[in-house]
Order: sequence, then structure tokens, then C-alpha cells
Amino acid sequence: MMPDMHQVGEGQTQQEWQKVPEAPAIMADHVSKWYGQVIGLNDVSLAISGGVTGVLGMNGAGKSTLLKIIVGRLRPSQGQIRLFGTDPFKNPAPYHRLGYVSESEKLYDWMTGLDFVTTLARLHGMTRDEAKDRAMHVLNFVGLSDVVNKEIGKYSKGMRQRVKIAHALVNDPDLIVLDEPLQGCDPLARTTIMNVIRELGAMGKTILVTSHILSEIERITEQIVILHNGRLLALGNLHAIRELLDHIPHRILLRTPNPRELGRTVLPHPSVYGVRFPNPGELIIETNSLSDVHQDLPSLIVESGMDVTAIENPDDNLQSLLGYLIGGRA
Amino acid sequence: MQPNVPPVGPPKRNLSETVWTKLDRKATAIAEFTMRQYRKKRSTWSVGAVGGVLVVIVLLFYIDAMSAGIDSWDNDGDGLIDEDPSNWDGSQAKSVGDVDDDGDCWARESFDRDWNGDGIDCNVIYNYDRNGMLTSVNADPNVDEDPNESEFLEESMHRSFLLGFGKFGFLFVLGIFIPLFLATGLIRDEQEAGTLHYLVGKPIARAEILMYRLLGFIGLAWPYFLGLIFLSALVTGFFGPGDSIYRFSDLGIWFGVLIATFLTVLAYAAIFASFGIIAPRFGVLLALLFAVWEFFMMFLAMFETTREMGLASLSVSFWGAEIINSTGWLVWGDYELMTGQAQSIGFFAEIALWTVWYNPFPTTTPLLNMVISIVVLLMLVGMFVLIGQSSFKKRELN
Repeated sequence: MMPDMHQVGEGQTQQEWQKVPEAPAIMADHVSKWYGQVIGLNDVSLAISGGVTGVLGMNGAGKSTLLKIIVGRLRPSQGQIRLFGTDPFKNPAPYHRLGYVSESEKLYDWMTGLDFVTTLARLHGMTRDEAKDRAMHVLNFVGLSDVVNKEIGKYSKGMRQRVKIAHALVNDPDLIVLDEPLQGCDPLARTTIMNVIRELGAMGKTILVTSHILSEIERITEQIVILHNGRLLALGNLHAIRELLDHIPHRILLRTPNPRELGRTVLPHPSVYGVRFPNPGELIIETNSLSDVHQDLPSLIVESGMDVTAIENPDDNLQSLLGYLIGGRA
Repeated sequence: MQPNVPPVGPPKRNLSETVWTKLDRKATAIAEFTMRQYRKKRSTWSVGAVGGVLVVIVLLFYIDAMSAGIDSWDNDGDGLIDEDPSNWDGSQAKSVGDVDDDGDCWARESFDRDWNGDGIDCNVIYNYDRNGMLTSVNADPNVDEDPNESEFLEESMHRSFLLGFGKFGFLFVLGIFIPLFLATGLIRDEQEAGTLHYLVGKPIARAEILMYRLLGFIGLAWPYFLGLIFLSALVTGFFGPGDSIYRFSDLGIWFGVLIATFLTVLAYAAIFASFGIIAPRFGVLLALLFAVWEFFMMFLAMFETTREMGLASLSVSFWGAEIINSTGWLVWGDYELMTGQAQSIGFFAEIALWTVWYNPFPTTTPLLNMVISIVVLLMLVGMFVLIGQSSFKKRELN
């Protein structure tokens, strides 16, 4: 039984009451899930508490399966999952502290945004007034205060994602699980949603967010979990993983009116071992130290006096990262 | 003076805030949401309208039949019709008093007035068995010899209509039809639409969600049936046979129909919603098969042998119908009288009554029967809710 933190017992002082260490928000212990012959998740163990964690993986890597197991939609075929110390499939109690945004785009289109969030807030046991106040608050937080009385069916994709996020925040959860919240959103909506997630992280919430786009996650958090073919491939700081990648062959693509001239300027750089011209107006620099080249590239460009319209890193994506992690090369 | 407030104490709790009030709020929220969902669906309105139109059409047929009337005929060939009417109202069901309305029995010689040999002149003896069932009618000469067919048939048809419409119309056709279309998808439709996680992702047990969804269905279905049954009670009360403007005596029957329909609809809703959970793809098919089973059982209940074997009691509709039967026995005490008279005079109208009004089962006491039927129906509801809940609890939402 958990002790009552507010109670002062006989002969005891307040100082004697030590807070019982709380169970981690998410604890997965050798969790596997298979659908018939197909393995969805393979022996994943992790514990997450606090901060924003990005779950990265290609389509079919097991991101959604992991999230569905975490929120109690699926039951693990093997292993154990605990949400604040409780099995979420058997007991809905931890849902008090959970906000979940599924990847599904399905919503009650006939309801207004306010209606939707208020109704679902009432399922947390709030009175009508409380629910409405909270709904207005979270809708405002996600930037939908102008359209609260509009039917969800008339919302844009970005608005739909945001109303889903609003509904997940209405109970002021400690843990927020977002499955591909940026999918299908326009750049403006992406930025808004990313800001919302960052802000929530700053508020001290535990946030788990999935994506298959590295740059998206990078803009939100540094703490990542990488899944591949149902397995947990890496868990930790994105920068640390990137540093590992730094010394393997990389390409940098530059768009410029005179690529050959620029190629001549950068070729003497000690970290550049080759240049190529795949298309007119394009220069590819091949390097085995990405950070060194990026550090010196601006001065080299200024030195050459040439116009550069774009600098891209074609290898700086999840696929390359996965390629390196799996096969040791980008 | 500052009160001595302890540094740490139990948090102030709003006294009106308990586990129950929270549960109640969740229940209301889900039930309300379910009802709003129904209101937004076109299928709800279509199903409701079809049911309403069916009831109105049947009632129009009833009004037509009642206003057409039936000609009486001269049974005893004395050129007079209805000079010695039977007393259909049952006031003399077991009496042995003077029932020779036209006095032609009393006009006979004194030795010729007691054909049934009970020592009383010009009377009718109704013989009942131990269970109170009429076994024979033994009349003295010229007593009740020319009853009013019109009156008898109208009364018989009216009663048959009430019982028949209550059982077959409300209990069976609409009672199955409405839950079949509206309750099978209570959980299944949400799962198929991909929106179920909005409900199950909240701190409410799945078992409760099913119950509150059922509550939402009932919140819509019961008022609907109440309206239709009220309309039927109005129409049959005003257009039914009798001298009074409105037949208040039938209200008890309609009350029985209402209770029976409410419980049967609840039971079917629990069954169909559970089917929808257990077999999402084949839920409707299962429900249809179940409806066929119910129809077959209803059919069995019409035959005395199979009825007394208790076979039909393996259905929901049987127990609903039993509530209506029992109400019939309680409200109209003269069923034996009517059937006896019909038999003794040779009216086939009795058949109409027989098809819709059975002997009470499993006991011969109507009130006890009604209580048993209500308990059985509630147990069925409970059983199927439990089955649905246990399947729902194990269901993964992919």
C-alpha cells in the first residue's frame, strides 16, 4: 500500500516521510509482439522517465507497435510492459496520467473541436464546466482557439493533428505519447506542433514521439530510440550517435552556377577526398569528416566568391544512420 | 489569532467529489455521447422511421377493422337477434344467477327450466378444472342462446390485436429489428472506424464502457418504444369496442407490453452488442441467425405440446411474451369465459385469442410468472453483458 504523503503519523515528523521512489513512466522488459508469423517487436527493453524521447524507425520498424503496447492497445506476446508501474492492458488506472495521440487520422468529424475535447475530458471524471474550461485551455495551447466551434470534418490536416494533441493534453498528463504527429502536415503546422512538443518537454512532461524522419526528431529532441525490424537498435543521445557517423564517408551537395570552380577551391581541404558533378549546377563533395568540412565550408565559399544557393547532406538521414548502425557504413 | 494549521495535512477534498460522482460523470458522458452519435447517423433515423411507419400502418388497419363492424345473425331462428346477449365483461363468469336476458327460459314450464340439473332454473354453469381453466359450459334452455356475434368478435379481435401486436409487433419485430441495426455496432463500429481508442484510452474499465454505451442505446430506444406504445394505447383505447370514450381497462395490458418491450430490447441490445464484439466481421450475421432462432422459438410457443415442454423458454422473446401473457391474465380475468362461450356457441373467434394468449408458463399464477419472466430477462441481460465485457477486455486494438 502506498503511504499517504500528507499524513503525519504519531511520533513522526514531516522530515521522516520519505517519498517512495516512483516507478518509471514507461518500463518495457523484454517485450516482443508477433502477429502470426510476423514479428512486430523483438525483445525490446527500455525504461523512460522524463524529457522528450524520439522513437525513430523506418515504416514497419515497430514504432507504432511499441507505442500501442505502451498505451495498452496491444498486449505483448512476451515480456512485460509497465506504465507508471501498472500493466496498461489489464488496468486503465494509469490512463489518468497518459495522453495518447494515435497515428490514425480518424476523428469524430461531426463534432466541433471544443465538443470533441470536452467530451473526452469528461471521461476523465471532470464535470461539464471543468471539462469545457480545460478543453478551451488546451485548444488555445495548441493554437486552435479560433476554430473551436468549427466541425472537425472541416479542419485541415494540421488542425486535425493539433486537436488530437489537445485531447491528449486535456487531463494534464505526466506522459504524452505521440505517434507520427507530424505526418502529412504542412511546414507551418509542423513548426507549430514541434513547438508544442518542445514546450511540453520544457514543462517537465515525459514525451515519447515517433517519426521516420531524422531531421524532424532532431528539431525536437536529442534523446532517441532507434528501432529496426522490430529490434531496438540504439538508445541514447543523437549527437553521440552522430559523432560515430562523422568519420565515415559522407556526401555534401552544393548548388552553384559554377560547380567546377567551387570544386577546385574545396578539393585541397584535407578532409575532402573527392568531388563530383552529377548534374549541371551541382557539386558533390566527398568527405570522411563531415564536421570538419562543414566548419570550413563557409569561409571556402566566401573565398571563392561564388554564389551557393543550397547546401544539403544527402547522407544525413535515417536510412544512412540505419545503414551505418546495421552494417557499419553510411 | 492564526489558527494552528498543521504543516502537512490531508488535502482539502470537495465533499461532493467521490469515486461514485466521477463514475457517474463518465457514465453520463459516454451515454450522452452515444446518443449524440445515434442522432447524427442517418441510419438511426431510417430505422426509426421504418419502425414508426409500420406501427402506424398496423394501427390504421386496426381502426379500419374496428369501424367496419360485423353483422350479427339469428342463431336460434326466432327472428330476433341479440335478444339474449352473453355477458362478455366477465361479471358473471362464475355466477349462477339469472342470465336469461330475454325471459324465454322463464317462459317455459317450471319443470323444463333446469337442463343442467343444478337445481337452479335458467342459469349457466361454467366448469373449471383445478387450475382455473374452463372445461365446459352447461346452460339451461334458451339462456344465452343468441349472443351478439358482433360484440363478441369485436371484443375478441380487439384483445387479440392488443396481445398480438404487443408480442409480435413490439416485442418480436421491432424489439429485434431496432437493436439489430442500432446496438450490434455499439463497440464494433467504433473499432472499425478506428475511433475506439479515444474511449478505451481513458481511465474507465472497458467493461464499463460497454455498459455505458448500452445505456446510451437504451436512452434512445426506450423513449422511442414508449412513444410508439403510447400511440398504440391511445388509438386502441379510443377506437376499441365499448360504450366509453376511452378503454381505460386496457392500460394495464399496454403497461405490460411496455415493460416486456423495454426488457426484451435491453436483452437483445446486450446480445447483439456482444455479438459485435465477439465476432466483429460476422456480428450482424450472428444476430440474424439469432433472430431466426427467436422466431422459431416463438413459433414453438404457439403449440401447447412444445410449449408445455418448455422448449421455447430457450429464447428471449418467450420471456418477454410471457410478461404480456401474464398481464393479460391479470387485467382480463374473463379469458376462460370468453373461450368457453365461443366454444359452446361455436365461434371461431376463440382461435384468434388462442393464438396470442397462452396458458401461463412456467407456473399457473400470472403474477409469479411475470416476476419469473422479468428476473429471467434481467439475468439474460447480465449474462450477455458479462460475455461481451470479457471478450472486450481481451480485445487488442490494432
